[in-house]
Amino acid sequence: MIHRTRLFLTAAATALLAAPLSAETIDVAIIGEPDTFDPMVSTKDVVSIVTQHFVETLYTFDDTWSVVPLLAAGMPEISEDGLTYVIPLREGVTFHDGSSMDSADVKASLDRWLEVASRGKAIADKVSSVEATGPNEITLTLSAPYAPLMSLLAFSNSAAAIYPEEIIAPEIETVIGTGPYKLEAHQPDQYTQLVRFGGYTQPTGAAERAQTPDEIRFIPVPDGNTRVEGLLSGQFAYADGLSTEAYDRIAEAAGAEPVLLEPFGWPVFAINHKKGLMTDLNIRKAVQAALPFDDMLFAAFGDEKFFQTDGAMYPEGWAWRTDAGVELYNQNDQEKAKGYLEEAGYDGSPLRILTSRQYEFHYQMAEVARMALEMAGFTVEMDVVDWATLAQNRDNPDLWDIYITHSPFLPEPALTSSFFATAREGWNNPEKNAILDRFTSESDPEKRKAVFAELQKIVLEDVGLIKVGNFNALQGKAAGLEGVTPSPWPAFWNAKLAE
Amino acid sequence: MRRYLANRFAGMIVVIFLVLTIAFVLVRLAPGDPASLMLGPDATPEEVDDLRVRLGLDRPIAVQYFTFLTNAVQGDLGTSLFFDQPVVQVLGDRAEPSIFLALFSLVVALAIATPIGIWAAYRRGSAGDQISVTSAMLAASVPSFLTGLLFQRFLATDLGWFPVSGYGGPDAGFAERMGYLILPAITLGITNSALILRFTRASMLDILGEDYVRTARAKGMTERRVVLRHALKNAGIPIITVVGLTFALLVSGAVVTERVFNLPGMGNLVVNAVLRRDYPVIQGTLIVVAALYVLVNLATDLLYLVVDKRVKY
Repeated sequence: MIHRTRLFLTAAATALLAAPLSAETIDVAIIGEPDTFDPMVSTKDVVSIVTQHFVETLYTFDDTWSVVPLLAAGMPEISEDGLTYVIPLREGVTFHDGSSMDSADVKASLDRWLEVASRGKAIADKVSSVEATGPNEITLTLSAPYAPLMSLLAFSNSAAAIYPEEIIAPEIETVIGTGPYKLEAHQPDQYTQLVRFGGYTQPTGAAERAQTPDEIRFIPVPDGNTRVEGLLSGQFAYADGLSTEAYDRIAEAAGAEPVLLEPFGWPVFAINHKKGLMTDLNIRKAVQAALPFDDMLFAAFGDEKFFQTDGAMYPEGWAWRTDAGVELYNQNDQEKAKGYLEEAGYDGSPLRILTSRQYEFHYQMAEVARMALEMAGFTVEMDVVDWATLAQNRDNPDLWDIYITHSPFLPEPALTSSFFATAREGWNNPEKNAILDRFTSESDPEKRKAVFAELQKIVLEDVGLIKVGNFNALQGKAAGLEGVTPSPWPAFWNAKLAE
Repeated sequence: MRRYLANRFAGMIVVIFLVLTIAFVLVRLAPGDPASLMLGPDATPEEVDDLRVRLGLDRPIAVQYFTFLTNAVQGDLGTSLFFDQPVVQVLGDRAEPSIFLALFSLVVALAIATPIGIWAAYRRGSAGDQISVTSAMLAASVPSFLTGLLFQRFLATDLGWFPVSGYGGPDAGFAERMGYLILPAITLGITNSALILRFTRASMLDILGEDYVRTARAKGMTERRVVLRHALKNAGIPIITVVGLTFALLVSGAVVTERVFNLPGMGNLVVNAVLRRDYPVIQGTLIVVAALYVLVNLATDLLYLVVDKRVKY
């Protein structure tokens, strides 16, 4: 009887399950619903992951994070003074609506990007004009040299996406792109279905986008445990944003493999330079001296497999890696901190740490930090709220001294907004501003590295922000899945499941 | 009867009005701003302000409330800030999984609870009675997320009998979508069977002690006929009450189960809406839930008429 029941259930489940994974469909579990398909207006990773399959930019990054052409036909011709970028466009590129891409589309798109995208707006004052200087050529003129421009044009986050001129508006209702896949269906909170675009032409500089699967389906699964179970059961071919605690279970499973992004990013204690306690350099130094970064990372990530105690802004293997100033990292010296507090004449006012449990590791780091800071003589007030509240409160400098966030390692340091005086943290040190200006206007890569070392040094000396360390992120894939390069923004156009 | 129904409907409107007013005020008292959430972590304060203006969130609360109320009366619950779709449509899309999940889990709960409840009452004080009552307590005490996780892990991942989560892809037909509900329905059904079991048992115990049951037995009626025809019918009213309330609770409150199994139902929707501060969706869901409770209560009261001829309105 038991045997018969099992047989029935298995048969029923086989009939009821979604079409089993085949080489034709790649089901990807993502952490939530992308709230827009217009990557220009969003800086969320989940938006980038999905939209990069159907929307393209002039440039992109290769596996080594170097900028390579995508919709551009080649790298730009840059004038000697670094002010004029002449960008050749690929011919024969078709939008999903059947129209051909030309310079008018690119001009309209870049104009919109400078107007509505946060990363575009950040450089809008440096761009004098975007002109169509031929049917397949666009010329960007800057008012001052700006080296990160190419990285900005290549980034999929707040992306300089290229749309047909006809759909350009402050708000775009239906996004039309040139990508290897096109948007077929979207059922909010259930799936986003992408299908192969028949009119796609391969880029000349970037790696091939082979259009291997017939369909790519992004399934928002907010619960982390459900993403793990779905991966292990074979329901998903790929799962993003997994808890590191699931590593061993995935590693032991026959049908799945862990994908460890090593290192993925850095948790950061953002500092309020506009108002309150942390505007005093001695207080900032006291916080920096008191914090036990290794303990904080251990509490947050549990296993050394998932973090590195590292004070440099970029990890080993990156071009930006430098040791400048790192002696000030991980001092774990509460006595020294007490000395700074005395110098500051600290009166015991509470140091307010704003954090959330949306990302549990933020909270765990904060708890360890609180203990160390109290040992150094601080009065600490933890403000633990949900992410929505944190996102609102951090814009009000009256409400916090430190808030906790994190970022992936970005290919271009100038993409890190916290370095800029205009960011909500308001770090407005004139010496740092001068270094930053030199950094963004220098075009020679070697010289830029040297200037970045100065920038890192002043981040640590002036305690502009506090980098806690490096952490790894866990994703998971079905055993035998090939063609997906591990990345904070994994792409699936080359994905293939083993037969 | 007509007068009774008119009164009930008037009461219903008052309840819904109160609920929507409270909902409107409460969601706005909560800190957190939908505009900054929608724009992502790197948006500047200016961008957030611009979006607030576009969404009408910068207008005085009283103006927002008045607009909301006048629109709601005309059946327009506003537009979801997150999905940019009418709330009515968003809710409509989520109704199917929630209603079928509630129905299925109710069937599971009744299938478990009614026979055991009757049997336990009939065998009052026996070891079997003790075991069934204790099991009911146990089932009620284990939170549904734990039951759900265990089922998910063992029945879905390890044995592969059921899908782990979701509600089917773009090509899923009705039968396939229903297949996704089996495991969540069993999870919810088990949790809710405890309450129904206790009600059934208590109600049957009262009835089995009544004179007319003794009379029926004295007349030589078979035990099966005594219990199922005479006693169960009269024990029906409290059971219907609890089943009605459980149903309303299931449609609106299967939050945890929908979350664990990633079902795109109303429970999941309202949690996401709260996290996203999608005010119109939170309000819309609360109104629908309030209406549902009132309607189920009314339906329960009307069912009494069918079950018990002595009831008159």
